[in-house]
Amino acid sequence: MRGGERLARGRSTLRPGPFVDQNLRRRWKSQVTLPPHTNTGAPIPTRLPRSPAAALVLSGLALGSGCVTVYQPLSGLQQPVVVDPTAPNLSDVRMAVYCVPGPALSRWETNKLCQRVSTLFEHQGALVTTVEGPAADGEDDALTDDERPVMEAPIALRMELRSRDLYTNNASLSWAISLMTATVLPAVEESAFAVDVVIRDGSGFLLASESLQGRLITRYGVGTWAANRAADTYWRREDQRLFGDISSHDLSEDLYRQLSQLAYNARVQRQVLEARAPAEARP
Amino acid sequence: MNPFALLAAALLAYVRPDPAPGLLMSKERSRQLECAVVTTQAAVERRPGQLAPEGSRGDMADRGAVLCSERLLRAGLRAPRDEAILSTLELRVSELAATAVSVRPDLSDRTWRVEPFHPSAQVSAKIAFATKNALMAHGAAVSDRLVTLAAGDVDVITRMAPDLAYPAACARYAANGSLGEGDALLAVVLRDPLETALHAGVCADGRWSWLR
Repeated sequence: MRGGERLARGRSTLRPGPFVDQNLRRRWKSQVTLPPHTNTGAPIPTRLPRSPAAALVLSGLALGSGCVTVYQPLSGLQQPVVVDPTAPNLSDVRMAVYCVPGPALSRWETNKLCQRVSTLFEHQGALVTTVEGPAADGEDDALTDDERPVMEAPIALRMELRSRDLYTNNASLSWAISLMTATVLPAVEESAFAVDVVIRDGSGFLLASESLQGRLITRYGVGTWAANRAADTYWRREDQRLFGDISSHDLSEDLYRQLSQLAYNARVQRQVLEARAPAEARP
Repeated sequence: MNPFALLAAALLAYVRPDPAPGLLMSKERSRQLECAVVTTQAAVERRPGQLAPEGSRGDMADRGAVLCSERLLRAGLRAPRDEAILSTLELRVSELAATAVSVRPDLSDRTWRVEPFHPSAQVSAKIAFATKNALMAHGAAVSDRLVTLAAGDVDVITRMAPDLAYPAACARYAANGSLGEGDALLAVVLRDPLETALHAGVCADGRWSWLR
């Protein structure tokens, strides 16, 4: 299904929020087998076992459900940016965001991503319309009839977002070792992804493109849980902590900052191209 | 494979150097790395001796590699805009030089001059040097001579809008003889203080044109 979902001028004070949170949870649900006691829903016994060894094993398994997800920017996502994503960098710029579903992004996730990116640019003053699907060659031909009358001027920037899975490793061997060591050694799952961003002007001329790549690693087990909890509590600086929704927050912040910078660069590039008269461009 | 060796290999996986943030790697240090996910075969070719190659019948476990290179300067030493430009300068100016040479084949017999327009003198010098190298790599003749403007010209031109200032400066370069008939100027321009992209324009025979 193609067609825009929203069209609004951004004057809201709402923050776009991390788009990866649901994405991560879905991956955990689909790929990860949690320790048995959490899957069956059996309650943890309230009466302490008499044997210290049994208590140790039991508490280990209980804590074994803990996991730490970390995000590592691989390429592009950690580039320095100059623009402030909360400033009106794109005032009155008409913009279309095309989110393309694929193997790495389901239709639901694509929809979510588009909404968040749309909110991001609305906060920067742009007039945004979102489209599920690739950008077409013709100007604003992806818009529905309902949207056309609203779009008084042609679209200035057309941003296309695609996502790819670069690598996924659900290491069953690490799960086996982790369970053998009562999850003192962690089970490790990791995946790498790429978000390909292409920005064109209204006529389809390429203004900017970038491939933003990152990696998500989830470590399960009592050992990694306890060690990282202690590190977060006692010696890691606040901005270096790993627990909680930090990975989602960091990834979202990196992605939003890079998208904002790319859109701004594309806007300036468009101004340069407009200044380039055809007679001057050729000898 | 010997199961003990397999177990040892699996245990070693926990102590292998991982560029991701964790107990032994801070987020700050991890962000200093520029990494790429590659196949085992590609990793063996690019970093020979650091990774065991795939067996002739493949690996028992699914393996990949993350190859990283550390940035020369740590984050925060340079301004974000300068860092963004300089960290990928070679690629950027190579694209600009390729565009200049291919879009203006009529200037192939001329000597190219390079003039960067960037607020920082140090960054300008790096941009100029890299652009001249890139032009030479594309077979162009390059001169180190600078183009100059009179003080009065500078006073007027710096108060003009960018769309008018660059053509005006180009006309003055030709009028004062700073840019001769056998020369062409490639200007590398940072147009906006908030952008991290470089633009290019060509000045020849007193006429200015934006390339990108």
